[in-house]
This record gives sequence, structure tokens and C-alpha cells, in this order.
Amino acid sequence: MSKRFIKLALFYLILIGLWQGLALLKIWPEYIFPTPLGVLETLVTGFEDKTFIIGILISLKRILIGYGFSIVLGLFVGLLIGRVKTLDETVGSLVLGIQALPSICWLPLALLWFGLSESAMLAIVILGSLFSIIIGADTGVKNVPPIYVRAARTMGAKGFQLYTKVIMPAALPSIISGFKQGWSFAWRSLMAAELLYVGLGLGHLLMMGRELNDMNQVIAVMVVIIIIGIVVDRLIFARIENKVRERWGLA
Amino acid sequence: MSKLADESVQVEELKNVDELKPNKIIDVRGAICPHPLNLIRDTIVSLKDKEILQAICDHEPTAKENAPRFCLRRGYPLKVIEQNGIWQVFIQKIEKTEPRLRVLSVSKVFRTNQGKVTALDNINLTIQEGEFVCIVGPSGCGKSTLLNLIAGLDKPTQGEIWSNGNRVTGPGSDRVVVFQEGALFPWLTVMQNVEFGLKLRDVASNIRRTLALDYLKLVGLDEKFHNSFIHQLSGGMKQRVAIARALVMEPAILLMDEPFAALDVYTRETLQEELQNIWTESHKTIVFVTHNVQEAVLLGDRVIVFASNPGQVKAEYEIDIARPRKIDHPEVFLNTKWITDDLKEELEEQSYKANAKKEVVYR
Repeated sequence: MSKRFIKLALFYLILIGLWQGLALLKIWPEYIFPTPLGVLETLVTGFEDKTFIIGILISLKRILIGYGFSIVLGLFVGLLIGRVKTLDETVGSLVLGIQALPSICWLPLALLWFGLSESAMLAIVILGSLFSIIIGADTGVKNVPPIYVRAARTMGAKGFQLYTKVIMPAALPSIISGFKQGWSFAWRSLMAAELLYVGLGLGHLLMMGRELNDMNQVIAVMVVIIIIGIVVDRLIFARIENKVRERWGLA
Repeated sequence: MSKLADESVQVEELKNVDELKPNKIIDVRGAICPHPLNLIRDTIVSLKDKEILQAICDHEPTAKENAPRFCLRRGYPLKVIEQNGIWQVFIQKIEKTEPRLRVLSVSKVFRTNQGKVTALDNINLTIQEGEFVCIVGPSGCGKSTLLNLIAGLDKPTQGEIWSNGNRVTGPGSDRVVVFQEGALFPWLTVMQNVEFGLKLRDVASNIRRTLALDYLKLVGLDEKFHNSFIHQLSGGMKQRVAIARALVMEPAILLMDEPFAALDVYTRETLQEELQNIWTESHKTIVFVTHNVQEAVLLGDRVIVFASNPGQVKAEYEIDIARPRKIDHPEVFLNTKWITDDLKEELEEQSYKANAKKEVVYR
């Protein structure tokens, strides 16, 4: 662990060193090739004057509302089409088809329907994550070994109990994978959508950097976006996923 | 009455290897006696001195079958009275308690792409309380299908199944199944798995815990595994937990579908021994499906041999060996051999039939 940490630290130190060195050579003007120090400065002032904090909070608020809605609806639809054959053959095929569409392609539609508004942002987040979550739940339910259901039935489980006590827990590893994928799709499409929308989100800050020719801000916001993505993915989803897989004996 | 003892002495004299052969059970109701009257229930049969009750069956009756006691096995108690040198045997069907399980002319037909396949053809079975019945047969003989029908996981195409006096229409916790793979839930700990069924019944948590502990002790699972997850257990331990999970429901009938088939030999032998102990302690009614004749002989009071295409009862054997039985017991060995020979005959006959059919097709 520590050995790996040293390797990583060295790698990034060298990388930043190279970057600083290249910048010091002044081959390119600073608005094209910023220095690490300049980016750091922008980051600090961004957090000090709270523009970054507001940006992060606004983006997180959007994604939490949209993603939360996706989880509820996606889980419901996914669990349903996983068990009802007719729904699977109809709705299921539609979901699979739509899933092939990159989530950012929903942007024009959302903009036409909702205009440049908060609702359009939410629509993008929902449409970006919903189908991954549906497919995750659907796959999970379909792959529940039938013997679990049979065993539970001989022990007296019936109807809704089969869903809550057997099918859902048995499908959990796949459901979590769907959540994880849905999250990363939602985050990406939200950032893309915010580029076009003056709504104080992180994407908007990124675009503002471009408009002001402030490369430091561009890079600083990119770093923030990356860090939030990694933190949520690694610290939340990967942990839950590992725990579930370990418990289920899939690891 | 003292003459009855004499008779058993005479039976002893007849002792030969055949005598050890398991009783082939004959349905007395249709059997014909050397006497002019048919031997049917509620009939009084008079026997002359030293005369032995005989029933006509498809084979030369063995010494054991000559004794009237085989009637007893079918739940027809005999009363023997001696008067003026003539014995009278009363065969009476007294109303016993409702059998635990009755399978009445059950057939099961599956529809496949190749057409209809008859998995079970007119199966009749009666299983009394506390009986340990093993169903044995080649793969594809429908023995597991029958178990599923009894469990209520599948519906018979024809016929009825009655459990404890109730018609079986679906699964119920009076008939819990132990599957070959155990089918334990990986998201629950060992303890939570055993408590699963009780939780469905809304049993209070402290009672649940006590019962689960009792049964985990009965199946001999080490306490340090009580909070383990399922994938951390060995195959043998998994089956122990599966048995505990089934027994904790206090089912009227415990159904076991080749529960030890996937285990290694040593683990299997230990578990067979323990299952005998559990049965001796709890006297549960058990229906045990296996393809292993030795296992059936080792465990069962009664072994029912299935034949395939279509699945039907080929023969029934009574296994009269004292418990606890050991796998290397000579009687277990002999019984296994006899039943296996019968089974082989059946298989050969079948493949012969199948080949004959093929030839016709090829022509």
C-alpha cells in the first residue's frame, strides 16, 4: 500500500514538475499553457470567493434531484420488466434501443422541450442515467438463480415478499452496477449540458473560463470536475460494489 | 398365541441367502390366497396348523414374504388366533391416522419443442408419518419432478397430491425442500438464512434466534460459522445449514432432492450418518431423492425404484436393517447389490426397447 502510494506520489510530482518546467520555457503564451501554480491560485481564490463552492453545490443539487428520480423510476421499471415477460419484450426492447444513444444526444431534445432552463438540466440527468439503472435492475432480476425463488417459496414466501426478501437482494450486485454506471452517465451529461446554460453550475464556470480566455480557470474547474467524479465513483460506488460483491461471494 | 412363535422359528429354518433379500411389498388387497377366498381386507382367513399364508405375486415368494408380517407393513394389522389346531388370521384395515403424504395417480406431461414428454405416468404413493422413504432411479426418470410436484412448485397434469390431509395446490412451509445446491441466500449470514422462514412467519426475534441455534446445533455446525456468509462455507457445511433451515420450519414432510450428490465421498458419508441421527432424534417424515442406490439403502425404511420413459414406480423394497446403519455394513451391501441388479435389468430392457425402436425407424 505504502509502496504503491510512493509510486503514485512520485509519478504525479514528476508530472507536475514537467508541466511547470514546460511552462517556464514560455514556448506558449500563458492563456494557452498555464502553470500549475496559476491553476492552484485560481483554485484557492475560486474556493475563497465561493464561486467554485456555489458551482459545486448547484451541480450537485441538480444531479442529486435528477439521479434520485432516476433511481426510483429506474428501479421500479427494471424490477418490473425483469419479471413480466410481456413488458420485457416490449418496454425492455425499447430501453435497450434507447440505451444505445449517447446520453448527451438528449440535449437538443431537452432544450427544445424545456428551453434553457433548470428543467432541461434535470431532464438531461434523468435521461442520461435512467436507462442504465433500468438495465442494471432488469439484468439483475433476470439472473437471479430460480432456485432461490423456489427455496423461498417452499419456506412460505409469496407475492410481494418474493420481491423484497429474495429477488431484490439477489439482484443487488447488478442493481448497484447499474447505479454506478447511471451516475457516471448522469455526471457527464450534466457537465455537457451546463456548458450551454448560464446557471452557475460547474459546466458554466468552465465555459466562463473559456469566454474570459482564462486558461487557469478552465483547468481548475476541470480538476474539480474530475475530483468530484472520482470521489463519488471510488469512495461511494466502488466501496458499496466491493462490499456487496464480497458478501455475495462474487469477488 | 404361542404357536405364533413356533411359526417364526419355522421361518428361521428356511433361512438362506434369499431370506436376507429386502421385502418386496405386495399389495394385499388384490392378492389371492391359496384358500378359495380372495384375501381382501376385513376378511378372516383360516389357516391349518403350520400352514403359512401365501399370496400370489409375480415371483416365487421368498421366505420372508411367506410370513404374514408383510401385511403389517402395508398398514393392515394381523390378528392370529389359534382354535382347535386351526389358525385364524384376521386382516383388518383399522383406521390409522391420515398418512402424511398421498400421491394419487399422478401424471406429469411436459410440452417441449419435440412434442409431449411424459415425465411421470400414474404414480401412486402413500407415506406414513415418520417414514424415511428414498426414491431412486436413473437420471430422467422423473424422481425430481415428483419431488417438485409434492413441494407444490409444479402442478401435476393429472392426479392429486395430499399432504397431511390437505390437497396440495402450491408450495407451503409444511413441505420444505433441501436442494442439491443448498440454495442458501448469499446475502444473508448462516444465522439469518436459518431464520429466514421464521421471519416470514413473523416469529419474534428472540424465539427465532433460539430455534435457529437449536437446529444449527442439531445439524452440528460449529458455532464460529454462525455469522459467516455462505460463500465462506464448505459444501458439507452448506448442506448442514440447508437442512437446519428446512427443519427449523418444522415441516410435516422434509423433501430432499439429491442433497449430498455434489459432495465428496467423505463429507457425504458423514452427512449420511448425521441425517440418520437427525431422523432418529426427530422422526421427521422424509422423502429423499437420489440416484445412488447405496445411499437409498443406507438411509431409507423403504426404497422406491423409478423407471424412466415414462417415469413410473418399478418396485418397492423394504429395508429392514437395524439403525444406525453403516455404509460398509454387509446387509447394506447385499441390499444395494440386489436392487442395483434389478435396476440394471430395467435399464438394459429399456435400451433394448429403445434400440428396437430405432431399428424400425432406420428401416
